[in-house]
Amino acid sequence: MITITRAPPYLAVQNGGRRRSRNSGVPPGGARDPFALEAANAVVGNSLDAAGLEWALGGGSVRFERDCAIAIGGATARATLSGRVVAPCTTTYARVGDEFSIDQIITGRFLYLACNGGIDVPQLLGSRSTYLPGRFGGYQGRLVKSGDALPLSEQKSEPPAEGFHCAADLMPRYDSGTVHATRGTQEELFDESAWLTLSESEYRVSAASDRTGYKLEGPALSNRSGTLPSEAGCPGAIQVTGDGLPIALMADAPTVGGYPKIAVVSEADLPILAQRRPGETVRFVLIPIDQSQRALKRRASDLDAIKLLATRSARG
Amino acid sequence: MTHAQLRAHPLGDSAVTIVFGVERTSELLGRIHSAARSVEAARIPHVQDIVPAYLALTVFYDSLHTSYDEMAAILIETCQRQTRVIGKAPLPTEHRIPVRYDGVDLEWVSSSTSLSVEEVIARHTARLYTVDLLGFVPGFAYLSELDPSLQLPRRAQPRPRVAAGSVAIAGAQTAVYPLDTPGGWHIIGRTNTAMFDPARDPPALLYPGDLVLFERVA
Repeated sequence: MITITRAPPYLAVQNGGRRRSRNSGVPPGGARDPFALEAANAVVGNSLDAAGLEWALGGGSVRFERDCAIAIGGATARATLSGRVVAPCTTTYARVGDEFSIDQIITGRFLYLACNGGIDVPQLLGSRSTYLPGRFGGYQGRLVKSGDALPLSEQKSEPPAEGFHCAADLMPRYDSGTVHATRGTQEELFDESAWLTLSESEYRVSAASDRTGYKLEGPALSNRSGTLPSEAGCPGAIQVTGDGLPIALMADAPTVGGYPKIAVVSEADLPILAQRRPGETVRFVLIPIDQSQRALKRRASDLDAIKLLATRSARG
Repeated sequence: MTHAQLRAHPLGDSAVTIVFGVERTSELLGRIHSAARSVEAARIPHVQDIVPAYLALTVFYDSLHTSYDEMAAILIETCQRQTRVIGKAPLPTEHRIPVRYDGVDLEWVSSSTSLSVEEVIARHTARLYTVDLLGFVPGFAYLSELDPSLQLPRRAQPRPRVAAGSVAIAGAQTAVYPLDTPGGWHIIGRTNTAMFDPARDPPALLYPGDLVLFERVA
């Protein structure tokens, strides 16, 4: 069990998304930076899909009611465990009564806290993730608040030794601001000038950004249609609204929509975009689909490598 | 009808969108719905989700275990084979949804259409609707096609909250709000039928291509 002693403004239980219910209109949802949560899970000896806490918008603290290996990933922050500094993606042992605190998030947007065993909330439609608009999933279908006590599952495998950490070169290049993307399903509606604009401009993440999408501010992208009959979208799809400004869809975006999609962010780079704060910029680099899919496979094998090293550390 | 026109596009790393046509017609939508059922029945390895829409069918897949080229080829072939054999796909389900016609906009719809309230209700219950697609929020099914005399533009200002179970109309479509959400459609009634339940599998009551009849209850 962990008790939330001081909740940050945003705290939610998340894991992987719902991958089989889009035909019922259910968005995939899940961690906005899935790589960060999966890496933190690997570092505490969890399955990559264990539920953790997605933490944003400020500081807070959590008390452990049982001994537990923990790790943090994603956004960087001043984090401590009963006064000791907690390093990113590093196996850290919490004892009963220890308090984990975040003073302030320094870079990025979403920090993930993984606890050995994972947070034990019911699996709904193949995921434990919180879907706020539908008020289901996660912890009672809502944000986690101060005073909530979250059950942890029994640990299924031995966590790595204290201090185990995953190599920095296995992590996404969060600081680069370069995001790869493939051409979207309405490429014929955009002319060369729109493609040039998209790939040669800097776009600034707008303050109007949430779990459904990030508005991007920069040069407008001209297209030959306003809206189209609705069709499926996906997280990372860059749709262009009537004013020519792009919106990058995020985890909780509706499953279908009518704006033309000029491009789709490579899944391997979605964490980089998801972690950009309002006011920060991104640059898009268009790549072919086979290159994008190779990058995703590489990301998966990086996670497998972290998992393998963690297992060895646990045995050693 | 030649089917060489089916075109595949990647929708990111883990989905293929198969475009069936450029003009929205009920005939085209019917073809896409039966293609969706055929893809489902074919149980293609690594397919995770099948999302039919007005002009295109999108299939989500596990891209760690297959490639775009492979998946696009299998899907095009499956869709072409299906459209050559009409009526091969499983039949859609028919649903009857009981409605109490006492919505806040019923009077307004009556005066805007110059039809009596009784006539509005009679025309809403007279048609067998097709589920075009699901979207907006979980379980929200867009149903077509509303009687032309009942077709009104949606509200200029959406309501911040429409209660789950509200039966509403807008444009050529009708729908039941599955969850409490903001909404800009005209509310003419309500139902106790649960349109969406995350504890159910599948969670939505209606599936694209299904047929719906509304029945008046007191």
